[in-house]
Formats: sequence, structure tokens, C-alpha cells
Amino acid sequence: MIKVVDIHKRYRGRSVLNGASFTVEKGQITCLIGINGAGKSTVLKAIMGLTPLKSGSILIDGQPIDKNLYEQVAFVPDHLTMPPGMKLSEGLQFMQDFYQSWNANRAEELMTFFSLDRTERIGNLSKGTAAKFNLVLGLSQDTAYVLMDEPFSGIDMFSRGLIAEVFSSHLIEDRGVLLTTHEIGEVEHLIDRALLMKDGAICRDFQCEQIRSEEGKSIVDVMREVYQG
Amino acid sequence: MKMNEGWTDVTFNGRDPVYLQVVRHFKEQLATGRLEAGQIIPSRRELGAMLKINPNTAQKAYKEMEEQQLIVTEGNSPSRITLDDNLLRSIRSELISEAVDAFVVSVRKIDVPVEELLDIVKQKYLERNEIERQVQEGGDHA
Amino acid sequence: MNRYLKLVHMEVDRFKYILAGLMSLTLICQFGGVIWWTKSAVSNRESGAWMNGGSMGYILNSSTSGNLSFTHVLFNTQFIFMIPILMSIGVIAIYVFLIWYRDWLGRNTFIYRLLTLPTARRHIYFAKLTAILIFIFGLVSFQLALLPVEKLIFNLIVPSDMRDPSNISNIIYANPALEMLIPWQFDSFLVYYVIGIIAVLVIFAAILIERSYGRLGILYAILYLGISVFLLLFPMAGLGLDNVNGYLYPNEIFAIELVMCVVVMTVSVWIGCRLISKKITV
Repeated sequence: MIKVVDIHKRYRGRSVLNGASFTVEKGQITCLIGINGAGKSTVLKAIMGLTPLKSGSILIDGQPIDKNLYEQVAFVPDHLTMPPGMKLSEGLQFMQDFYQSWNANRAEELMTFFSLDRTERIGNLSKGTAAKFNLVLGLSQDTAYVLMDEPFSGIDMFSRGLIAEVFSSHLIEDRGVLLTTHEIGEVEHLIDRALLMKDGAICRDFQCEQIRSEEGKSIVDVMREVYQG
Repeated sequence: MKMNEGWTDVTFNGRDPVYLQVVRHFKEQLATGRLEAGQIIPSRRELGAMLKINPNTAQKAYKEMEEQQLIVTEGNSPSRITLDDNLLRSIRSELISEAVDAFVVSVRKIDVPVEELLDIVKQKYLERNEIERQVQEGGDHA
Repeated sequence: MNRYLKLVHMEVDRFKYILAGLMSLTLICQFGGVIWWTKSAVSNRESGAWMNGGSMGYILNSSTSGNLSFTHVLFNTQFIFMIPILMSIGVIAIYVFLIWYRDWLGRNTFIYRLLTLPTARRHIYFAKLTAILIFIFGLVSFQLALLPVEKLIFNLIVPSDMRDPSNISNIIYANPALEMLIPWQFDSFLVYYVIGIIAVLVIFAAILIERSYGRLGILYAILYLGISVFLLLFPMAGLGLDNVNGYLYPNEIFAIELVMCVVVMTVSVWIGCRLISKKITV
């Protein structure tokens, strides 16, 4: 379980994170929802140790983030983070060299699923293709948790559908997934749990099927209440 | 393949629990004859992939269907639709009465005598059949 | 350790084309200069123009016998030799900054990947440092290796009866750039290269400060640079080294300077490692 407790962070005089607390369980797909600038990406970066926190704690299976934990948690940022001069095959090799949790078979499977050309250079990829390769890099690691920052942002409709398929597959099963997105439409039926972020904190935290059974509301309905009410 | 027809083009609304919508979809497939008694159904993983839903949701749907005795799982074999005729018939009735309920509620707002209503229903129903038959034939010729 | 080496390999690999370019440029300029000048010097002598007081350039520094030596060649091709050397120094100086900033700039911020590798963060720092050192010493070694080859070319062009011998130290002294790169005295060597390394360490620390502190980062970084330069220069310049009646003996001043160097080096490395592990932000 990833446990985030009361995290605070200031940036340029503004409170980006203001006491956000939540947990991410294994075997569940959790989605962090919020308007632009709500701090969603910052939360993911903080979990990954890419930005320091003013206060609060983040524990992954009881441990604070450190170098070994990068074998337990994979991060798929909102853009591809490999050198443009590298070929896709070299990128895969790089990951294999550094990560013990790298699963080369899974990588092959995903490369084929997304129809990616291994000889292409990273700098030449279109946005959609780059997003797909980004997913390959993140999901081919045998990690217990996967964090994804806006996996659908700026992607064409068909690529989005393909990416959404990944969520329904065995690639995600048993893992704890935390993603952020604006495109709630694409994931409405996929996620188990929704965390609504407002003013740097989590203001609604619910199981989606439960809200549907008990209150007959969709995630979008709750979002309207929170952000427009 | 007959198995995949009717599985990949389902759309879900966001307000009803997804797993219940899956169960409902199964029932509809049964009622329209696309699924038959005793037929083997896809594994919950396959179903998740086909319907583009979370594997957890597929799991929940299967559990619900088992509880309603709609599907039967024996040991490690794949699950299959029940052979219980009574249950299947009651499902058919359930779906019909749900549809009729919805219709009655919406049509009651208009003051129309029941006999006239029934005639219109019959006429519309036959019209629909005709249209669908033509579409199918057109499809066969193409 | 293993991952550190992989990182070093990656850093060197990313720069290999530029390195190859610099080496090629050096080779072409220097071989070209040697061949061109030597050939014209030889033909000049053969045609007898030298005897009759030909072009001024050849007369300077000639030996009394009128023969050519390799030293002579180097002296007269200084300019063309220096161009690639100065360019290499310039490129490496810029890359001391770029080796970090290239990972932040552009669409594909590689720094995200580096910081989430399952390796201690300080390995990233040391890998970049090691790479810079490899480039510097690699280029210098390459230059050193070129000299005997150039001498061989010289020997091939100049018939043995026209040749004078030359020794290695004269060869190097003939060209001011070479003299700086390959100082003959060990202490000069130490001074140039150690100062160079300290400079790299201080710059690395400043870069990491700038990257860790948001908008104020650039100010803090410049401040750090200023303080370091001051601490390093002060003993030699400010304590009256050249003042015969000064308060401190020269040896004491040197000792203070040495301490300053060690302090600045250690603090820079410590700051660099600490920032990249705990404070850095993308």
C-alpha cells in the first residue's frame, strides 16, 4: 500500500499541496482527479522523490522512497523521458540494464500490442506513439505499483482506446495503479476508486461502484458537485 | 465469431454500477438468444478485455451472476450459463417486465385508452421487424 | 558500482560524436599544418631560395646548418595547431554546464529517468564528473599520441640529410597551447589540472544549487560561485605573497591556499551529492 499522509508543499508562494492524505491499494485502480494546477502531477512526483516536500510523509509498503523502491514503483510521466537520439531498442536495453524488475517478454508483448517500430528514434515519435512507448517502459517493469501522469493527454482517439485496453488487461491486474487524468470519460468505467483534489487536498475519496449503487451518481456527477457547486 | 459478437460494442453509462450493467448485458444476450443455456462464457479476464472494463469489475459481475445462479462454475472448468430453464424463463420475464414498466411509466403521461395503445404497439412492433429484416437482407446482398 | 559504471558509459556514449569530431578536427588541422608547412620548407630549401634569403618565416629559429627540425615545424604552425585545442577547451567548458542542463531542456527531460533509477543519486553526480574527466584526459592523451605520428610524417617528408633532431620538451615548448596542456614541470601540471577539476566541482555544485532552489536558485548559485572564487584567490592574491615585508611566510600562504582548495573541493562535492539526493526538483 502507498500511504500518503498530510503532505505539504509550497511553490512560488502558493500552497500546491495542503495536507493531502490518501492510500493506494494493490489490485485497485485509483484515479486522482482535479482541475489544471490542482497539484496532481506534484503528488506523483513527490511519491517518486522527484520533488521535496515541506512536511508530511509518504510510505510505500511501510518504507520511505529510496533507490530500492524504484524497483517496486514504476512511473509513467506525462511525457517521454528518454534522450531523443536513442532508438526505441536502445531505450529498452537501457531499462533492462538498470532495472532488475525489467521483464523483457512483457516489453516485447507491449511493443507488438502497440505496433511500435524498434528502429525508430525517440525524438521522431509522434505524441501518440511516444505515449505508447512511455507505457511500455513503465509497464514492462514487474513492479507492485504503477503511477501514471495524464496517460491520455493530447492523444488521438484511437491511441487512447488502445491505451485504455491496457487497463483492462492482465498487465494491470494485482498491481496498485495511481493515475491522474483530465479525460475522465475515458476511464469512468475502468477505475475502482476516485480521489478528487481541490486546493491542494483530497476533498472526496470514494469507491466508484459504491457511489453508483448508493447514490446513483457517476464520477462526473460528483465532480460537478465538488468543482462547480 | 459468434462469441465476440455483442461483447465488444457495449457502452456503459456512468451512473449505474458497472458490474450490474454487465450482468444486465448477459441477461439481454440470453433473452435475444445470442447466449444459450449451458453455453461456455469467456473467463473474467477475457471479459474484462473485451468489454474494456477493470478486471475487478468483471470479477464482481461474475460473483453477482453466480449468486443469482445465472452462471455455474464447476471446479477449474470455465463457467457456463445455467441449464436451469425456470431461471432462464424468469430472466426473460424480468427483462420484458422491466421494459414494459419503463414504457408504461412514460406513456401514462399521455392519456390514451389501453386498446388504442395496444394496437399502436402491435403496429410499431411489426414495422420494426420489417425494417430489421430489410437491413439484414441488404446486408446479405452486400 | 556496477550501475555507476553503466552511467559513466552512458554519459561518454552520449558525447561520442562530439568527441570524435574534436579529435578529427585536431588531427586534420595538425596533420594538415605539418604536411603543408614541411613540404613548402623542404621545397624552399631544395630550390635554393633559402640560401638566397627567401621568405622571412623560414629564417626565424633556423639552425645554423639550415636543416629543419620538428620543433621548428611546430613553432611555425602554432596557429593552426591551436585552433582545435582552443575549440576543444571551449567545447568541454560549455559541456560542463550542458552535461546537466541537457537533461532538463527540451521535450524529453531525461533527468526524470535518471533520478528514478534504482541507484544511489550520488552515482549520477560522480558519473557526470568522471565523464568530464575522461573527456579532458582523453583529448590530452590523444594530442600527446598525435605528436610522434606528426614527427613521423615530418620524417617522411624531409630527407634525412636535411633533418636536425629535436627533443620532446623543446617540441612542447614550441607551441604555447601545447605547453599549457602538457606542462613539463610536475607542479605546474598539478596546478593547472587541479584548478581545472576544482572549477568543475564548483560549477557542478552551482548548477545543482540553481536546479534545487527555484527562482532564487540562480542567485544562490552565483553567490556560491563568488564565494568559492574569493576563497580560492584570496590567499594568493590578498595575503601579500609578493610583499617582502608581509606578515606571513610564502610557505604559510601556500599552505593556506592548499587548505582553501581542499575545503572548496570537499564542500562542493558534499553540496552536490546532498542536493541531488534530497533537494533537487524537476
